[in-house]
Amino acid sequence: METQTIAAKRDEIATPARRAFPYHVLEKPGDNLVDRFLEAFAWVLEYTDYKPLLDSYCRSTAKCNRCAVACPILLASGDPRDIPCYRTNLLLDTYRRYFTMGGWVKARFTTPFELTEELLYEMGDVFYRCTVCRRCTRSCPLGFDHGLITRLGRYLLSLVGIVPKALQVSVQEQLEGETHNTSKVSRAGLLDVLSFLSEEMEESLGVKLDFPTDETDRDYVFFCAVSDYLMEPDTLMGNAAVLYAAGDWDRWTIGLCNYDGINYGLFYSDWHLEQIIKRLVAEVDRLKGRSVLIGECGHASRAAHDFIPTFMGQRAPPVRNFMEYTLDCLRAGKISLDPDVVTERVTYHDPCNLARSGWIVDQPREILRSFCRDYVDMTPKGADNYCCGGGGGLVSIDELHDFRMEIAGKVKAEQIARTGADIVVAPCANCKKQLKELVEHYEIPCTVVGLHDLVLRAIEIPGGKSPVERRAEAALFAI
Amino acid sequence: MTIDRWIEFAKGPLFAVTFMVMVLGLGRQVLLQFYFLGVKKGRRLRNVHWKQVARETSSWVVPVRHMEPGTGLFSVASYLMHVGVLLVPLFLVDHIALWNAFLGLHLPAIGEGTADALTLLTISCAILLLVMRLLRSRHRLVSRPADYLLLMAVLLPFLSGYLASHPSVNPCPWNVMMLTHLLSAELLFVLMPFTKLAHVVLFFFDRISVVHWQLRPGAGDRVAEALYRKEVGAR
Ligand code: SF4
Ligand code: SF4
Repeated sequence: METQTIAAKRDEIATPARRAFPYHVLEKPGDNLVDRFLEAFAWVLEYTDYKPLLDSYCRSTAKCNRCAVACPILLASGDPRDIPCYRTNLLLDTYRRYFTMGGWVKARFTTPFELTEELLYEMGDVFYRCTVCRRCTRSCPLGFDHGLITRLGRYLLSLVGIVPKALQVSVQEQLEGETHNTSKVSRAGLLDVLSFLSEEMEESLGVKLDFPTDETDRDYVFFCAVSDYLMEPDTLMGNAAVLYAAGDWDRWTIGLCNYDGINYGLFYSDWHLEQIIKRLVAEVDRLKGRSVLIGECGHASRAAHDFIPTFMGQRAPPVRNFMEYTLDCLRAGKISLDPDVVTERVTYHDPCNLARSGWIVDQPREILRSFCRDYVDMTPKGADNYCCGGGGGLVSIDELHDFRMEIAGKVKAEQIARTGADIVVAPCANCKKQLKELVEHYEIPCTVVGLHDLVLRAIEIPGGKSPVERRAEAALFAI
Repeated sequence: MTIDRWIEFAKGPLFAVTFMVMVLGLGRQVLLQFYFLGVKKGRRLRNVHWKQVARETSSWVVPVRHMEPGTGLFSVASYLMHVGVLLVPLFLVDHIALWNAFLGLHLPAIGEGTADALTLLTISCAILLLVMRLLRSRHRLVSRPADYLLLMAVLLPFLSGYLASHPSVNPCPWNVMMLTHLLSAELLFVLMPFTKLAHVVLFFFDRISVVHWQLRPGAGDRVAEALYRKEVGAR
């Protein structure tokens, strides 16, 4: 990652003229940008359901600026271009002028608003300064969903070729590439990782487990952000430990044709969103699985949980996040967590995609409180939390690193520092990456882990080593 | 025609017509929303958590928990203005006869003192909002001319109504002020369905943005196809 950032900087120096976008795009935005944008807009209005949304937003916006105090980006940058309502109006004005009767009439009598290439460039900039965290929605008396508009703006821009290369390349690999996943983890590579994990677990937990792959007729088909296989072994081992300790080892499987829960379509494109969802469900169908179990990833969970029913209707398999499953096991007494192992101060970061809708707020807290001695909450929390600053796909775009650190994540960093926590739990691949960079950047003395990383430390393994024993071993190892 | 005849006209046929425009216009907005929900989204509505939508919407009726630092003055002024705007026109003694004559409604009246206080509150809040919108750069940036004009349009009937009923502070003849009051109120009726004032009914629908996340299956495909077809045709 580091090298790419440097490459990006070199690129800046090489082209003294200000780049149109703060991120790399795959193709050069060609000629007739405005016309092509309007045409794409027209087709989108024709075939999708966004028109009523735009109509009612155009009609009822109060322009009260309440959303402005809610947005962490604006709080940190103070740049008026980051006012949610201002950004949204770029798109609404375009819609008003070119696609409504009123706009047409008005254009006959006054100097009309005109969509220019510069405005499109500005959209390309500001729509990727919003992390689609939707915190502002809860502050708007009319419930305006700026996240929805940002996403629509990005979708329209992507139709004329303006889309961050980082997102596009990943999605392309996922849909058309050989490995069919965003991190290019081949099937052999995955099997390697799994056998490595089972060796690790044998050594540390004292039980020999083979990860079930491509088993049919199981209750849970497991998907995580594929990058977890490369970067988050502890989270995965924590997941596996819960499944084993709860006696559910024969009830789950990892599919070998599709093992990536990531869905960047959620961030910028309806088409990609739907295709990726369909591929995921196809894998579950192939394995005759009965439900989808999503690992620790906010956007993957929301994409599956919210959009499988949307696109699949009656045929939608049920979707659960792993934390819901773990809590059920805990409540049913199927697993027990040792309250003496985790003694550090722990706090919990709510991933926007899980918490904003109120879906997963209390579950992880109940798990953590059950075994962490010193648990503290951030304020605000839950559905009112602040975004980590890397939401909406921003975390994958290396060129936006400085923006993410200095602006998007600033409020979050202050919030974390205030808790005085030693461990920040963030059950999301995106949040984890952003927060790790953030605590390093602001030199906050704490570590960022997944929730199951902690569970792994505290869980009692039937027939294996006890948590206290494991802690002693780990301490020895550390010396 | 004398001013008094004009007043008669504004109280009679003009009132009936403008009121109808408002009712039909707002009704159309509501029907459009239901059409969209029922026909367009149809079965996908089952995926929406309606209870939460209802809870969120109703939490704004008395938005205490939404008071955040930084929004204080504007929010309070705006809330109080809305209280006045909703209560005074409906329950003022002088209006009740009007509702009775046209709609057969028997509404309870609020005391004159309360009504006066509410009216003054509304007027001062509206002026305060206008001033804040004019002076604060962040507000100016997101405001369009309509945002200022509509606020003034709301202010006018309250101001003229108050002056008309308080001869001691009224600088013009009573009937001129009364006519202003009537016409400005009727202007509001007409504006309501066609401007952002429509939030009087849309308020209850806007919070369903969760519904809009229920994208239409296959739509992305169709858009991509349409654009691709054109690209191929151009070659
Ligand atoms: S969605 Fe989040 S980042 Fe975007 S404008 Fe709203 S609060 Fe700001
Ligand atoms: S809070 Fe809502 S109505 Fe007010 S300015 Fe923001 S989007 Fe517009």
